[in-house]
Amino acid sequence: MMANTIVETESPEEFIEEIEKAQNCLPKKIDANPETVEKGLAKLVLTLIELIRKLLEKQAMRRVEAGSLSDEQIENVGETLMKLENKMKELKEIFGLKDKELNLNLGPLGDLM
Amino acid sequence: MKLYIYGIIDSSNQITESTYGLEGSNIYNIPFCNIGAVVSQISQPIQDVTEGAVLKHEAVVEKLMADFTVLPVRFQTLIEGRDNLLSMMRSYYRDFKNNLERLRDKFEFGIKVIWPADKIKENIIKTLNKEQQKKLELGSSPSNKFMKDKFDKYKIDKEFEAKADKFIKVMDIFFSKFAAEKRIEKLKTENLLLDAVYLVEKDKESNFREAVEHIKTARYDFKYLFSGPWPAYNFVILSKKSGLLTDSQQTSLLNKVTQDQMLVGVDSI
Amino acid sequence: MNNVIAKSKDVTLLEILDRVLDKGVVIAGDMVISVADVDLIYLGLKVLLSSVETMERLRGSAFPS
Repeated sequence: MMANTIVETESPEEFIEEIEKAQNCLPKKIDANPETVEKGLAKLVLTLIELIRKLLEKQAMRRVEAGSLSDEQIENVGETLMKLENKMKELKEIFGLKDKELNLNLGPLGDLM
Repeated sequence: MKLYIYGIIDSSNQITESTYGLEGSNIYNIPFCNIGAVVSQISQPIQDVTEGAVLKHEAVVEKLMADFTVLPVRFQTLIEGRDNLLSMMRSYYRDFKNNLERLRDKFEFGIKVIWPADKIKENIIKTLNKEQQKKLELGSSPSNKFMKDKFDKYKIDKEFEAKADKFIKVMDIFFSKFAAEKRIEKLKTENLLLDAVYLVEKDKESNFREAVEHIKTARYDFKYLFSGPWPAYNFVILSKKSGLLTDSQQTSLLNKVTQDQMLVGVDSI
Repeated sequence: MNNVIAKSKDVTLLEILDRVLDKGVVIAGDMVISVADVDLIYLGLKVLLSSVETMERLRGSAFPS
């Protein structure tokens, strides 16, 4: 194929699997169909909500780790987070969106999911 | 006539060896000042991203890499007409020149490392279970169970990331010794521990390859992918894109340059 | 044996695609037609490979290595 450049590995299949998993959506055909536009909007909104929800969860965990929450507070936070998670599951189902589709690349922070 | 651009080179000379690109067209260099844009004429934008088209494009870029310093241009970049191309070159001249200087005699090498995420997590869980102190004791309500599960997962993830950081640091220290620049992506997926590219000088290439072989022997349960040499795809920095240099700033810099040098190829417009 | 070669080719193609489609110099401007402006359909590795195999079969030429 090429003179000089090589791609060398003893495990090509494993790398193919991981690279394809990691790949962001490359530019696809632009589809201005109204249904798609609606779904696109839902995707955007839900992605942002997921972002906030996951940040809240992480923050809660940090406080549990630091021991700065009382038992009662832990239980209350748990109830809220649980309700949020279930609500998000519902919404994802309603709009037919999978976790994968709500992923967001946060640059140096990595991916949301 | 549409011009398909393959790369920007640090030469205003013609391409001596016959090389063919997309649609079987001859590739040639359109000079601007002391650099050039390597193009071929194309009838229309490529309709499907087929393997053939991509490989043809890449083959041209790699041929250029053998003879020049080349800034590889993204696949499917077309310009309508020679005038517009020269205008684009004028606009980007400073940027292109700076990159060509910085990347001269340097090549990109890629390293990807896969680690067994499941096994690593298993070991973490074993270790965490042994450490009784930080165990979270909560009541049995659903909310408490929810929090307990989330907290356990949080601890595992935290340790998982810490381990990843540790391994990457060790590998990076080895590779960085022979690299001018690097771009590192950690845990692109759970199993893809590292996806990194290093910019290595021509005469440090064998040292770098040795370092890679050495790292491979450190952990036999990890999997490695090594690639290169590539043109510096990941190391081109365009200030124009981020708007750091305004068009008028670029023009005045360019005017300073052209006072001393003759613009090659201007008569042919 | 064929399978191993095919897989190695796949991973090489993925590496090339990542660079050629996603990295390198991106030129912006009114007169520039680039990736985003065109009906570009990236259908994934499997479809790419089969479309080329079909092309080669029709032409009856050997697959370039």
